[in-house]
Amino acid sequence: MTTAIRFQGVGKRFRVQHQKPFLAKELLRAMLQRPSQSQEFWALRDVSFEIEAGESVAILGTNGSGKSTTLALIAQTSRPTEGAVTVNGRVGPLLELGAGFHPDLTGYENIYLNASLLGLSRRDVDGKLGAIIDYAGIGDFIDAPIQTYSTGMKARLGFAVVAHIDPDILLLDEVLSVGDGQFAHKCEATIREFQQAGKTLCFVSHSPPMVLALCQRAIWLNGGRVHEIGKASVVCERYQRFLDTGSLA
Amino acid sequence: MQTFTDIVRYRFVLENLVAKNLKALYRNMALGFFWSILNPLVMAVVLTAVQVFMYPDGGGAQRAGFLLVALIPYNFFAYCLSGCASSVLGNASLVTKVRFPRQILPVSVIVTNLVHFAIQSSLIVLALLLFPPPGQWFGWQLLWLPVILAVHIGLAIGLGLLVAGLNVIYRDVQYIVESTMTVMFWVCPLIYDPVEHDSWSRAPEWAFWLYYSNPLAGLIDSYRHVLYYGKPPDLGVLLLALLVTLAIGALGVRSFWKHEHRFADLL
Repeated sequence: MTTAIRFQGVGKRFRVQHQKPFLAKELLRAMLQRPSQSQEFWALRDVSFEIEAGESVAILGTNGSGKSTTLALIAQTSRPTEGAVTVNGRVGPLLELGAGFHPDLTGYENIYLNASLLGLSRRDVDGKLGAIIDYAGIGDFIDAPIQTYSTGMKARLGFAVVAHIDPDILLLDEVLSVGDGQFAHKCEATIREFQQAGKTLCFVSHSPPMVLALCQRAIWLNGGRVHEIGKASVVCERYQRFLDTGSLA
Repeated sequence: MQTFTDIVRYRFVLENLVAKNLKALYRNMALGFFWSILNPLVMAVVLTAVQVFMYPDGGGAQRAGFLLVALIPYNFFAYCLSGCASSVLGNASLVTKVRFPRQILPVSVIVTNLVHFAIQSSLIVLALLLFPPPGQWFGWQLLWLPVILAVHIGLAIGLGLLVAGLNVIYRDVQYIVESTMTVMFWVCPLIYDPVEHDSWSRAPEWAFWLYYSNPLAGLIDSYRHVLYYGKPPDLGVLLLALLVTLAIGALGVRSFWKHEHRFADLL
C-alpha cells in the first residue's frame, strides 16, 4: 500500500485581523513605527496522520476544530506554517456547499473551466460533457449562470464534474447533506464505485450514520489537535457521546 | 521562468478564462465590437473637437490620429492594471478550491485586453487613412511596432503581477491603481506632445530624463513617433523604458511568488 496523504507535525497559524489591511495605513504605521495590530491563532497544531491510497477516512470535529483547514492543506490551496504535508495523486476540487464555481459563468462554461483547472484537455472534456450533464440532471439550467442555481443544484453539478474527472483523491466537505434523497443515493453509489476503483476519500461530516456507511477510519479533531484516530465505529461512538454529554473523557 | 512555463502547460485554463472575460464579445460579435471601440471613439471625437477649437492652426482633423495613437495604448494599459488588481480577488471561488498556477489569472486579463487592443487599433488605422498625419506613417519605421508592443506588454505583465498579489493583501491597492492611472493620463504625452511645443529645449536635461523614467510616457512617445510622425522612436527614451520595465518585471514576479502561496488563506 502506498501513502496517499501524510501529515507530519503539521501546524497552521492564521493572523486574525479585525479588518482587511490597507496599504496606505500600513505604510503610515511603518513610518510612525507603530506595531501592527493583529492576533495570531493556530488552527492546527502538531497534527500527524497517514492515509493509505484506497482508504476512506472521515474527519470529525465541532465547528472551529480545524476540519476545513485540514482539507485546504490536502487540496494544497494552503501551505502549512510548520511540519510537512505530502500528497500523492491528483486531488479533486474541494467540494463544499455552494462554492467552487464561478457565479457569472453558466453551468456549461463552469464544467470546462473546472475541468481545465484540474488538468484535463479540451478533448477530455468534450468526451465527458454529455455524461456530466446527464449525471447532474439539472435540465436547461446548464445554460444559465451559476448564480441562478439553488444550493442543491450547485452541489449536483459540482459532484457531477468531480465524478467524471476521475481524481485520485476526493475531498468532500459536508456536500452530501444537501440534494434530495434521490441524488444522495446517486452520490453514494458513485462514491462506492470510486472506493472500489481504489481511490482515496476524505470526508468531513457531522452525520455519524453517513460516516459509518462510507468510511473505515475516522480522525477526530478538537481545538486544532488530533483527539483520536481509529476505527470509524469506535471514534464515531465516542464523538457522539462527546456531543451528547459535552465531556471529552 | 516557471511563471511562464506553467502558463503554457495550463493554456486550456487560460483559454477558458479569456473566453469568460470576453463573454460579451463572444456571445454577440457585432455588439461586442461596438462596445470595445465606443469608449476610445467618443474620447477621440470629443478631444479632437476641443483641440481643433483651441488650436485653429494645429492641423484640424489630423489631431484625431495624434490622439488615438496615444489614447488606445494608454487605454489598454489602464484596463490591464485595474483588471489585474482585481483578478485574484475576483476569482476567489476558484483560488480557494483548486491548486493551479495563480499567475494565469492576471495573465488572462492581459490576453483579454490584447484582444480589445487589436480591435481598437482599427480606429487608429482608420484615422490615419482618413486624415493623413504630417509624417509618412506607412514605412519601414513600422518595424519598430513589435518592439514597442513587446515592452508595453512586458510592463503590463510586470506591474499586473505586482498589483494582483498586493491587492490580495492590501485591499486598497485597486483604488491606488485607479487614481494613479488618472494621474498618468496627464503625466504621459497623451493629449499634448512636449516635442511639439519645443518644451525640452527650455527645460533642464534632468527634467527630460525624469519625465521619461516613467516607462509609459516613453512608450506612448514611441508609438506616436512611429505612427504619427513616421519616424523611428527616440532610442534613448525607448531604452530607458525597457530598463525600467525589466526592473518592474523582476519586482512583480518576485513579489507575486513571495505571496502566492498565501492567497487562499487571505481570501
